[in-house]
Amino acid sequence: MFMRILDRLEEIIISCLIAGATLLIFVAVLHRYGSTVPFLFEYLHPIDLTWAQELCIYMFVWMAKFGAAYGVRQGIHVGVDVLVNRLGVNQRFKVILFGLLAGAVFTGIIAALGASFVWDLSDTDSRSNDLEAPKWIVYLAIPLGSSLMCFRFLQVAFEYWRTGDVPHGHAHVPDAAAEGSPA
Amino acid sequence: MSSVATGSIPANRGAAFSWVMILLPLLLLGVCMMSKLGMLDVPSGMRGALIAALLISLFMTGMPISIALGLSVLTFMFTMTQVPIVAVSLKLFTGIEKFEIMSIPFFILAGTFLTQGGVAKRMIRFATTLIGHWYGGLGMAGVVSCALFAAISGSSVATVVAIGSILLPAMVEQGYPKRFGAGVIATSGALGILFPPSINLVIYAVATSGMNPIGPNGQRVSSASIGELFIAGIVPGISLAVLLGLTTWYQARKNNYPRMPEASWGERGRAFLDSFWGLFLIIIVIGGIYAGMFTPTEAAAMAAVYAFVVAVFVYKDLKLVDVPKVLLSSAAMSAMILYIVTNAVLFSFLMVSEQIPQSMAEWMSAQGFGWMGFLLLCNLLLLAAGNVMDPSAIVLIFAPILFPVAVRLGVNPTHFGIMMAVNMEIGLCHPPVGLNLYVASGIAKMGITELTLAVLPWLATMIGFLVVITYWPGLTLFLPRLLGMG
Repeated sequence: MFMRILDRLEEIIISCLIAGATLLIFVAVLHRYGSTVPFLFEYLHPIDLTWAQELCIYMFVWMAKFGAAYGVRQGIHVGVDVLVNRLGVNQRFKVILFGLLAGAVFTGIIAALGASFVWDLSDTDSRSNDLEAPKWIVYLAIPLGSSLMCFRFLQVAFEYWRTGDVPHGHAHVPDAAAEGSPA
Repeated sequence: MSSVATGSIPANRGAAFSWVMILLPLLLLGVCMMSKLGMLDVPSGMRGALIAALLISLFMTGMPISIALGLSVLTFMFTMTQVPIVAVSLKLFTGIEKFEIMSIPFFILAGTFLTQGGVAKRMIRFATTLIGHWYGGLGMAGVVSCALFAAISGSSVATVVAIGSILLPAMVEQGYPKRFGAGVIATSGALGILFPPSINLVIYAVATSGMNPIGPNGQRVSSASIGELFIAGIVPGISLAVLLGLTTWYQARKNNYPRMPEASWGERGRAFLDSFWGLFLIIIVIGGIYAGMFTPTEAAAMAAVYAFVVAVFVYKDLKLVDVPKVLLSSAAMSAMILYIVTNAVLFSFLMVSEQIPQSMAEWMSAQGFGWMGFLLLCNLLLLAAGNVMDPSAIVLIFAPILFPVAVRLGVNPTHFGIMMAVNMEIGLCHPPVGLNLYVASGIAKMGITELTLAVLPWLATMIGFLVVITYWPGLTLFLPRLLGMG
């Protein structure tokens, strides 16, 4: 149950972030050109959208961190698997497991480093340039996203250890590419 | 993911081999640790080589490229520099804190909307009415519609999926051999990364931006902008499309493949009007950027919104309830690329701190390597890398290393970027990791080996074209210069 909620939440967050960022920049561009129209000028001019660009960047960084975790679950992180695929199924097993655990180690380290960094930052009064949002909240994406990604690597590794199946697929080609590949 | 067992290693040797694959990176990590603890003295010249060996050994295990890059940099920072290691996690955020990079998710989103939105089939119809009555009619139409679709989507794979899944069955039905159709689509789809907007060119611009390396006469040379690269990609893109078309035409004439009845001008007009909404996107992106109305990122966002409107409200091929699925798959795809970008930014930080490009440039010019020799070397290196890696990862890893050297030897930054893109196109079309091949093989239900033979004529054309692009900078730089862009 908890897992289902987590999965859904992850998907909803990243979908909303990409949709939101797109609309945001679209509106910002319309606003810029709308302000040049005399009739609309007095309505649009008082609205200040200079922060749109910064917010868009932050939304995408958050999307990238959580999307990367989602990507682990979907197996879309590409690697150089030429050599691995030439091994027999039994030999391949430990190498793939090693790769997944290495992913967990890296994202785990990053999560810990990020957490300590954000912790130090939360004592300061550092704020972002345009939005003036507290920096530590903005940078929270690193510990949160990396912990989730670490968890996903462990989850996929455990599933692989148990069932011998590893999620795979390219985001663009859900089933087409899989046919030629035994991985 | 995207590979196939071309030959298996016998089990008894495989067991030993798989242990080597795991232990080698651990061993190299151990060496780095020992040098940190002062138990082993690693000469400074060897440090770069040690990290490179660690990176390659990690790659070989098949783990995600981003993780391998990140782990190598982490090891380097921890064992060989005084840089506080917390800086790594900060860099993972600040590394992609640039507005230009954000055009990547927007272009991916636009491309996915168009792929799902019925734009492809209208473009195919337009291209078929235009040149379907020539030799190899549907094949030629395939090249043209791939080129048109490439001009509205930034990805090669998306182009192969969009055009191939419609055109291949139609070609087989008309009596073309399957291998001919699959060969045309797999190679023409690669036009996607040369025609603007191209995600690969954005990545090149991002990977080299702000480097301002020293040119041959000691002056600083600025990197190529996204707009410049997009404009520069147009003429090479069209030339390659023409060459691929000629290859198709020649083969079709030799084998006397079926032709379509010639369409009337009325039919052509109607097909054009029907595909107009898709084609108009080219004007928005290229025109908008060139006229200075939008920055490339804004143009990408406009393209995404426009593609959404066209797919859902104009063509109505995409239902509103399917939009979340499009958003999710685009977000996942973008996140994967952005995650490699962040880790590659870390990696290029390592390169700069070890001064690897600079010392390579020094060495190259001391050896009397001209730009011609260097570019030949680059092509061989990139083609080799194209055997095993994804194009965006190759550009991210190699561009920061090769770009300063190229500039030092007097190569134009824009020309170098286009040359890399053509290289990546070839990499997409040949085994073992040619993504286009896998996608095409999935659509055509053909084996990779068979398909590899099928693409050979077009692949040979592309390699010939690569030589032309490499040694004739004028072809690339003609249009940007004409438009006064550098």
